[in-house]
Amino acid sequence: MRTALAIARKDLRQRIRDRSALVVGVIAPVVIAGLMSFAFKGVENFTYTLGVVNLDHGAVSAGLVQALETPQLRHVVTVRPLPSAAVARSELRAGKLGAALVVPAGFSASVATSRPESLLTLSSDQFAIAGQVTKSIAASFVAQLNADRLSVATALAAGAPPSELSSLAGLASRLRIPLQSVERPLGAHQLKVISYYSPGMAIFFLLFTISYAARSFFVDRSQGMIERMRAAPVRPAEILLGKALSVFAYGSVSLLTIGVVTSLAFGADWGAPLPAIVIGLALILAVVFLTALVIGLSRTQRQAEGIASIVVFGLALLGGNFFFISSAPSVMKHLALLTPNGWALRAFTDLATIGGGFGTVVEPLVGILVFTAVVATAALLLAPRAVRV
Amino acid sequence: MRVLAIARASVLRVVRDRTAMFFIVVLPIVLIVLVGAIAHGVTSFRVGVLDLDSTGPSRALVADLARTPGVTVTRFSSLHALDTALARSDLDTGLIVPHGLAAAERAGRPIAVPVLAEQANSSQQAAAAQVVAVVQREGGRIQAAEFATHYGGGFARNLLRADVLAPRTPGVRLGEEAVRAKAVTLPAGYEYSAPTELVLFVFLTAIAGGATIIETRRLGMFDRMSAAPVSPRTIILGESLTYVAIAAVQSALLVAVGALAFGVSWGNPLAAVVLLLVWCLVGAGAGMVAGTLFRTPEQASAIGPVVGIAFAMLGGCMWPLSIVSPAMRAVGHVTPQAWAVDAWTNLLASHGTLLTIGRELGVLALFALGFFVIATVRLGRTLSAGRA
Amino acid sequence: MGASLVLECEHLAKRFGERVAVEDVGFSIAEGEIYGLLGPNGAGKTTTMKMVCGLLTPDAGSISIAGRQAIGNLDVKALVGYVPQDVALYPDLTAKENLEFVGRLYKLDRRTLAERVNEALELTDLADRRDDRLDSYSGGMKRRLNIAAGLLNHPRLLILDEPTVGVDPQSRHAILERVQAFGREGLAVVYTTHYMEEAERVCDRVGIIDHGRLIAEGTRRELVAGLGQQDSIELGASGDLERLAQICLAVPGVVKAAAADHSVRLVANDGRSILPALIEAADAGGFAVTSVDVAEPNLEAVFLHLTGTALRE
Repeated sequence: MRTALAIARKDLRQRIRDRSALVVGVIAPVVIAGLMSFAFKGVENFTYTLGVVNLDHGAVSAGLVQALETPQLRHVVTVRPLPSAAVARSELRAGKLGAALVVPAGFSASVATSRPESLLTLSSDQFAIAGQVTKSIAASFVAQLNADRLSVATALAAGAPPSELSSLAGLASRLRIPLQSVERPLGAHQLKVISYYSPGMAIFFLLFTISYAARSFFVDRSQGMIERMRAAPVRPAEILLGKALSVFAYGSVSLLTIGVVTSLAFGADWGAPLPAIVIGLALILAVVFLTALVIGLSRTQRQAEGIASIVVFGLALLGGNFFFISSAPSVMKHLALLTPNGWALRAFTDLATIGGGFGTVVEPLVGILVFTAVVATAALLLAPRAVRV
Repeated sequence: MRVLAIARASVLRVVRDRTAMFFIVVLPIVLIVLVGAIAHGVTSFRVGVLDLDSTGPSRALVADLARTPGVTVTRFSSLHALDTALARSDLDTGLIVPHGLAAAERAGRPIAVPVLAEQANSSQQAAAAQVVAVVQREGGRIQAAEFATHYGGGFARNLLRADVLAPRTPGVRLGEEAVRAKAVTLPAGYEYSAPTELVLFVFLTAIAGGATIIETRRLGMFDRMSAAPVSPRTIILGESLTYVAIAAVQSALLVAVGALAFGVSWGNPLAAVVLLLVWCLVGAGAGMVAGTLFRTPEQASAIGPVVGIAFAMLGGCMWPLSIVSPAMRAVGHVTPQAWAVDAWTNLLASHGTLLTIGRELGVLALFALGFFVIATVRLGRTLSAGRA
Repeated sequence: MGASLVLECEHLAKRFGERVAVEDVGFSIAEGEIYGLLGPNGAGKTTTMKMVCGLLTPDAGSISIAGRQAIGNLDVKALVGYVPQDVALYPDLTAKENLEFVGRLYKLDRRTLAERVNEALELTDLADRRDDRLDSYSGGMKRRLNIAAGLLNHPRLLILDEPTVGVDPQSRHAILERVQAFGREGLAVVYTTHYMEEAERVCDRVGIIDHGRLIAEGTRRELVAGLGQQDSIELGASGDLERLAQICLAVPGVVKAAAADHSVRLVANDGRSILPALIEAADAGGFAVTSVDVAEPNLEAVFLHLTGTALRE
């Protein structure tokens, strides 16, 4: 055991002395996560500028414009008053608007009559959904109005005497749509972008440790150091254990540091500390065995670098470290759960949104450990060969 | 020509390096596929529905929602699952059809229909707006049917009447007109991922190539070249040519793969070729600077990619700059990437030509020139000092 | 003999797949003895060394170090010092850190480790550069440190694999002096080299390995004498060299004589002692001898004779 520790200590000493380790281990992930945080700060995913051409200036149209500026829609729609539809069209063409709403002259007055004016939504072919959202907002505003009219029409069709039209209209105007949509906040916290990419980037750079450790093993071997270790009273298992310990130590410090820095500096939410740490440790264990597997599969340093690259990037891409896995097609979401980092990301984001403690991370923990067990089996079969001289 | 000899030796070393080929060819293509699959922009909102009533009317409401353009409905069986899906951003909003909906309708009682959305989240708000509109439309039918029932017919019958009458009844119509607009972002799918990944990877490869210069330096090859009757300028030219060559080959490969495998049209051919060449020069220049800046290959391979990725992020390779704040957009344009992406957007989304991307090409050329000047000065100093 | 045996190998064998690297090798080394292991590439030299170091497990045979069975016995490795051919130390660590690491591999406790490291640094005259990274050392310094690292555990048996390859003459001289000193201090040394002069100078006994077998063993004198090698003499002269050759053949002790382009080549039993007679005979025959070259039998010749290959590739 003492020799394993000596080997681990030596590895770590070399790592710390190599300044690039500091960059890859701590600085890079923090910088990139921070960049993402700045980029997405205050910007939610869906927003557009809505040009409003109000040719009416009546009470009803005023109410409509007010409906566009409710607190709920504040982040969705940025209202810009425009003088005419022609201006709106040209602004749309220039890409300065997402959509435009045209309220014709006489709208407010016409609403009470039998032939109300129409509202026109101008939408951009680049951003069709903005037009749809605009239409929906307008539709909600006039929903009651249209419902009342429909009620009168249906009553007449059902047999109400046409002579009672005005009284019908009066009765209808007192109706209220029976389905009242009530906005309710989620049971869970909202996932901030930074809370996704902080663990995402931290884990990605943690995976890089595999490349580094595998490479350094082969450098050791080509320098004759493995042979030297074997000539000494050191068991092959101790050599592997020493390497494993150094990877574990380095990975832990790296993950912990990034967790603390991103939480304090960018307000990233990694969830409750203890469950998060447990997930982190499980993931690092997976990384240790992945390193051993890469070493076991390779014969030269070049080979190790190549295999490590494929493993690192393959896992990172599948696991959703680079992009929001939730916006991916569902097949990719399933593939992500084949990777330990995919499970870890899910655990961290669940902890940050749904909350909860160990209960939330049980499933991801099992996922990571199953993966680790499979890799460990292969690694323990293959790696010792690499230590034999 | 000796310049070619120097370039040839360097290119050979790269092509034989399998890890390098992974990063130069395999990884970009993989990313093009993955990002292409995801980058479809927001074309519809994902709505999760929990039907707690399971009656005819509740199912009709859900069906109505499913038919709405711009909405994709997924049915859920528990509130926990719905909440979890929302929290994970697998959905944009949730609709809970309350238990007792049908009964309330028949009885003429109002009933609350919860729509799940976080106030601060605009995606959810926008999605919720769509859902609310549908609920209200549905509610309007029911209101009409209930009202009419006072005057004759059964509720169900009047519901049918309302459905028939709705399109014909004078009410405030909502007309829609689509306007052709200037593109601010690349088209969705592979036409998004192919150009952005190309910009990202050509630059990244070139910077990583900086490590090769350092290795050449370390192996004493520069000394060897200097000992031969070769001027420093030839040496520098030879090295630069390497990078341009590798970048050009990589670009050609990615363009071919994009066009043949993914049907990406790269826009006006002349403009595209010029843009590709200029970007190769920018990348090569950056690679040369990297080679003169870092002292060990480990440094280069650690810091280089980080810088490359950071620039790519700032420059709009990973997400379109149209969604970030104007301040961030401005900052992004400090990187050459932003200008390259702008040019590609113009070519692919607005069918631009050489003329329309003139400004971007000019800026990129300046970047390339700047990088080469810096690299030449530094490298020249090293070579003439005799100590490589 | 009196001195106890530090290393006893018997009937060592090792094969790699189809290839038989070592077929049957056995030798013994006593305390204070410097044993040279010579052999061409592929002879089984390296494999034998690795078996003695415990890096390879023999397929057959036994190895005993200081009376203890070595095969499969981890603790016995503590008695062996290993100095590999290539400097096996970390360039990015300091001399002190490197030595401390190696010492820990041999499970030296903290106090002993510190003492031994200091001792090693003093011994190799590198104490004032202890905190410098190894990549700032010259080649010779690295090799000195390499040897020092092999001595940290105060071994009974030292394995030196080609310790002077690529070393400048001064450092080589220092290393050879050191090795002879080890012998005097009672350390048993296995020394492999393909520099014949070194083997002749430093080794007490020499074993020659070829095709996985120990084909000859003994002191230099024994080996040379055992083959009955004769001296070869080259007399440089001009004129009718055929006649000169005949004249030389008549001199007692000359076994063979043949004329070459510008000299006469002779084989004689004891070159040095018949030289005067040869010169006299040549002189009497009217020839002026311009140069004389006497080549004594040496291990190189022995080697050539035994293996059919030159030692230096």
